[in-house]
Amino acid sequence: MDPLLYVLDLIVFIGIFGIVALSLNLEFGFAGLANFGKVAFFLIGAYTYALLSQIGVPFYLCLVAGGLVSAIFGLLVSLPALRLRADYLAIAVLAFGEILRLIVKSEEFAGGDWGITVSPAISLVGASHRVDALVNIGLVYFCLLICFIVVQLLANSPYGRAMRAIREDEVAAEALGKSEVKYKAQALMLGSAMAGVAGGLYAQYLQYVLPGMFMPMVTFTVWIMVLLGGPANNWGVLLGAALVQIFNRGTNILKDYFILPINPTDLQYILFGALIILVLLYRPQGLLKESRIKTKAMEGVRRARNAVKNKGSQ
Amino acid sequence: MQETLLKIREVSKHFGGVYAVSGVSLNIKGGGIWGLVGPNGSGKTTLFNTILGLHRPDEGDIYFNGKCINRLAPHQIYGLGLVNAFQIPRLFSRLSVLDNMLLAARGHQGDTLLNSLFLRKGWQEQEVELAGKAMEILETLELVHLALSPAGELSGGQRKLLEVGRGVMSSPTLLLLDEPAAGINPNLGKKIFQGIEDLSQEGLSFFIIEHRLEILFDFAHWVYVMDKGKIVVEGKPEEVLEDPAFFEVYLGV
Amino acid sequence: MTVNWAQVLFNSTITGSLYLIGAVGLTLTYGLSRFPNFAHAEFITLGAYIGYSVAEQAGLGFPLALVVSFLVTGIVGILCYRGIFQPLAKRGATIIHLMVASIALGFILRYSIGATWTWKPLYFTTTWSAFNIGPLRITGLWVWLILTAIALAILMHFILVKTKIGKAIRATSSNPELALASGINVDRVILITWFIGAGLAAFAGIFRGADTQIWPLTGWDIILPIFAVTILGGIGNFYGAIVAAFIIGLAENVGVVGLIALGLSTSYRIGIAFLILIITLIVRPEGLAMLFRRA
Repeated sequence: MDPLLYVLDLIVFIGIFGIVALSLNLEFGFAGLANFGKVAFFLIGAYTYALLSQIGVPFYLCLVAGGLVSAIFGLLVSLPALRLRADYLAIAVLAFGEILRLIVKSEEFAGGDWGITVSPAISLVGASHRVDALVNIGLVYFCLLICFIVVQLLANSPYGRAMRAIREDEVAAEALGKSEVKYKAQALMLGSAMAGVAGGLYAQYLQYVLPGMFMPMVTFTVWIMVLLGGPANNWGVLLGAALVQIFNRGTNILKDYFILPINPTDLQYILFGALIILVLLYRPQGLLKESRIKTKAMEGVRRARNAVKNKGSQ
Repeated sequence: MQETLLKIREVSKHFGGVYAVSGVSLNIKGGGIWGLVGPNGSGKTTLFNTILGLHRPDEGDIYFNGKCINRLAPHQIYGLGLVNAFQIPRLFSRLSVLDNMLLAARGHQGDTLLNSLFLRKGWQEQEVELAGKAMEILETLELVHLALSPAGELSGGQRKLLEVGRGVMSSPTLLLLDEPAAGINPNLGKKIFQGIEDLSQEGLSFFIIEHRLEILFDFAHWVYVMDKGKIVVEGKPEEVLEDPAFFEVYLGV
Repeated sequence: MTVNWAQVLFNSTITGSLYLIGAVGLTLTYGLSRFPNFAHAEFITLGAYIGYSVAEQAGLGFPLALVVSFLVTGIVGILCYRGIFQPLAKRGATIIHLMVASIALGFILRYSIGATWTWKPLYFTTTWSAFNIGPLRITGLWVWLILTAIALAILMHFILVKTKIGKAIRATSSNPELALASGINVDRVILITWFIGAGLAAFAGIFRGADTQIWPLTGWDIILPIFAVTILGGIGNFYGAIVAAFIIGLAENVGVVGLIALGLSTSYRIGIAFLILIITLIVRPEGLAMLFRRA
């Protein structure tokens, strides 16, 4: 395979899964939600994109629709689910994702086991694979940038502060006037929207959707990205997404150069499993630790400190 | 004295047939420091939790500023200016001391999804102001040098102070404090109560559970004594001290 | 459409028996260690493969396969608890971290199994005699499965009610602090529970494998119905699990009849358990536990 194309392909994957990792970070890293059904919202976005593009809807509308439909599902799921304990919520949304996969696998409108062929978002006449990949990088990273700006703005605002407070202690947060349900529902809605957009990007890049692309495994790969990179740190989870994807490719390249006694995919997931257990044991904060909340409050602190200093010098 | 702030009428709360609070009525008027004392298990904390919406009263009504708050959620009650500081501080340990304080501010415009994204100029000035106010409160609590440290790194006494500071930060109309002076040295306890007195002179009202009667009775202007879920004595501290029923509760004579 | 209801009922018992054997370990460890161990799926898979190795590769027969795979998987269960979950809990890991760790452990086990035995499905070659009783089609394997489940129910009841360790398990499950204060060696109780739990998962794996096929996802394929049994029965509640297993078995088998009648794909069969799981979690997360105060 063309090595440059291989790198470009890797960059696209990092971008798409970077978006999903950012969305899980919003839900888990900031709001403390154990979303074990992330793949469900990725699936909704991908299938919405595929079904709409089949009937000729332009790609940008397909992407937006994927995000919206996924957001609506996120909100619907959140209504009954948010009052649940962390473990119940995790099991419930995991089962929800499996039900969705069962539906697209069984129903003809979704193509069943064979899935749906999807046309690429932007196809230039006579373009090479490299150019196609570059166009995709442009599209994916444009979406990633928007998502990143949104989560960064949220993280560095009183709203994000309240979200983190709920993660730490929802009873105390509730006693300080922060409604647990409101923040968690909004986190799940926004996170689902982002995962939905990522699903659409994924569908048009691979040019097909299949039920097999949306196994629970996808959810946990994203969890690895977040936990490895650093929950509640948006730069961290992007780093996590990049590392996991590079690692993923690495084990696959390895087999071309070395004769391994073990299937590289098996090896990869064994190492992922071991890695995440080591992270949880020895560095639960991840590679990059939780980011500070940056608002203009620091200016107030500085002024207060200066006032004290001035008083002292008089 | 001003009009009634908190009115509790015949409130009862039981857990599986055991009455923790039984037919309690009381009136708290604006301004001043109101004490609530009683032996362990007399139902003081349950009464507080019922007022705050953490429990629902089984019987009776609770009015705050003339509005019935029986069925409101804790965060709604908070929004009305009826605020609580937990007996055992419940801080957000991975957030900084300053962030803990800022979280307590009521009516922060940046606290909604859309404002945090699109109206950043609108609330950034408010952040500056609130941070200034927080720093002032932290100053009086001698926590100002720790403003940017994670709350999880505070000592036991400092956590207690921050819990009280958070309550003050919310500019409440009525602040419920559950044992603000417990577990800290007597001087600090007195200091906290002096701070409370200063604030009450600025118009803030306090309703305080305290086991350290010697401190509370110096500052409170009205004291309720609870025993076995009921109010048994109430009055000015000096009156209560002379009431035989008070001694019966505490000494069992 | 004529439905052989006797067969449907019998099939429900088979499904229920399998889920019960799979769920006992999960519900006990969930109740004691207070987190859902998703790697329970891989205990099931591992048990199936070890059983296969003993019965087919070493040719030592089915009964010995059950014994060896119970012991080996049980020991793996203990090692996993000691090596991963206990240290995590000691470091103050949240329940979310414990759940993620159990999934990570599942990865390690599942792909190690894949690397050892490959991902090609394997089949037990033992042939089971099939016979008819009235309208019922029955195989020897199913008889074994049902008998095992019944024996398990009776044995577990005896252990939980009569033996010291059983009483300790119940005490620890309902109030660990009190159990510790009353001199129960909680650590040992938890270890024994993980041993028994993982060992029984191996039974479920062998029966499932003998009935269908064995591959690295054998356990994952049935883990959500097993979760449904655990939740519906009430976490940590053995008697609830018995009833719940039969209910889920019945729902799946009657549900298939319903699916066919409605003209829907029968691949939704497993979704019935998922749906029961979600509805239970939302409507009545304590499950049927109120019916069975005792355990």
